[in-house]
Amino acid sequence: MGRNLLAERPTYVVGIGLHRYQHKTDTTYVQLGLTAVRAALADAGITWPDVETAYTGTALLGMGASRIMLSRLGATGIPMAQVENASASGSTAVAQACLDVASGRTDVALALGVDKPRGGLPMAPSEAGISNLEGGTVVPFTHFALLASEYMAAHGVTPEQVAGVALKNHRNGARNPFAQRQQVRSMDEIMADPISGSMTRLQCCPVGEGASAVIIASDDGIDRLGIDRSRAVRVLASATRSEGLYPPGVGIDAALTVETAQAAFDQAGVGPLDMDVLEVHDAFSIEELLYTEALGFCEPGQAAFLVESGDFDLGGRCAVSPSGGLLAMGHPIGPTGTGQVAEVTRQLRGEAGDRQQPGARLGLTHMVGVGAVCVVHVLQSPGA
Amino acid sequence: MPDVRARYPQLIRLAPAGSDSSPTIVGQVCGACGRRSFPPDPYGCEACGAPVDRLTTTELAATGVIHAVATVHRHHHPRPETPFTVATIVLDDGVTLKGVLTGDTSAAAVGARVRGVAVPWDTDDDGTEVVDLRFETVADHH
Repeated sequence: MGRNLLAERPTYVVGIGLHRYQHKTDTTYVQLGLTAVRAALADAGITWPDVETAYTGTALLGMGASRIMLSRLGATGIPMAQVENASASGSTAVAQACLDVASGRTDVALALGVDKPRGGLPMAPSEAGISNLEGGTVVPFTHFALLASEYMAAHGVTPEQVAGVALKNHRNGARNPFAQRQQVRSMDEIMADPISGSMTRLQCCPVGEGASAVIIASDDGIDRLGIDRSRAVRVLASATRSEGLYPPGVGIDAALTVETAQAAFDQAGVGPLDMDVLEVHDAFSIEELLYTEALGFCEPGQAAFLVESGDFDLGGRCAVSPSGGLLAMGHPIGPTGTGQVAEVTRQLRGEAGDRQQPGARLGLTHMVGVGAVCVVHVLQSPGA
Repeated sequence: MPDVRARYPQLIRLAPAGSDSSPTIVGQVCGACGRRSFPPDPYGCEACGAPVDRLTTTELAATGVIHAVATVHRHHHPRPETPFTVATIVLDDGVTLKGVLTGDTSAAAVGARVRGVAVPWDTDDDGTEVVDLRFETVADHH
């Protein structure tokens, strides 16, 4: 068993910054990324030369994305690397930045997520030489439509109850100026335009472009740079795992989430019911139900009813996807995980304005990536 | 009678010409740990790490039960034509896979029994008929 570095050397989110998630434009990824990093530096009250290491979470940009971008803040010569972990790329960049700081290698690290859509998503697993019977007929939205079918049959849940996730998350996204989708939707609108099974267009996340940045620092860094401690959000856990082998019929993404969440809660010394705010990988509405259950927030089959009763609303028992989640804030791939950490940080500082979860003290971020991999972070409010 | 071949010959074995038997599905059994798996893997066993030379081919009956089902309305290829229906199927041999349904799908619900059938997919330049595996619901006699 390794050491719990985050317990040994307190590690904090001290700065967040975003470029709005949006449909693809002519804006370069460099401009998207620099916008987010400059905002995060300003938020932390530090300057670029204070940053000692940088990780860029990106799945789509190609080789060598970091230096041509970050050197425009000043070519300071710090270590830089791209982090690719599919949808969890940004989350994994945060994990690497936390590891750098918690290990004592550096006092201030940047995790940036930035991406732009390209024609299609290049996927290594499709080049692995392992063929399957479905011959391309089961793309992600159908994979999750099948999980929705299973969930509804097992728990007596209706398509409208599953769609309730999208109703809530579009409502939250309408309050988030960085969200790609900022429109309150009616249930009729959400149930229109079927894509696959019970999944409709508005129950599937938009994949656009954007950027989000998170600055991680140690106590030494905070003291040396005079960073405002009352806005520093402690990282209690940073857990990453990959898929194991599960019995036939067990959903891999949920089973992997159970294991990763356990690792995170073990590090943090807190449990799921202690959480006030969750940002989960709701690329498709059904996923939020599966993952809130897998994270241990409720029993299997109960999440649909908790969404319906408002328990996951802003102001409810635990706000789930207050940013709008992937469904409304969007899923630009690289930025998604860093954006989750930015949102939970904002919530735990009490700076989320009209989408603030009252009294939020503990929060969790969760992403899965094709492969499959899972990344969970647990964050704690300043002064908690 | 024209020659017939499977669209994915590494994944299914067709019944002899003239037979109305179902195709079978090509799986693997690990000689080290006994795990049965699908699709066939060219590298090794995911359960115990045994190399590929410990994996032997086994035929799995193309019969099972629908575990989940979805009708697809948007597809990035012209074929199959939308709408089509896919299912997660737990084979009687214990392996889970996904397949496309054919025929009358009105009874295609979670828990329904299905069996594999070979359906026309294409014709090669030399006239060889290419067939693909689909699943159809069958009455449950249990």
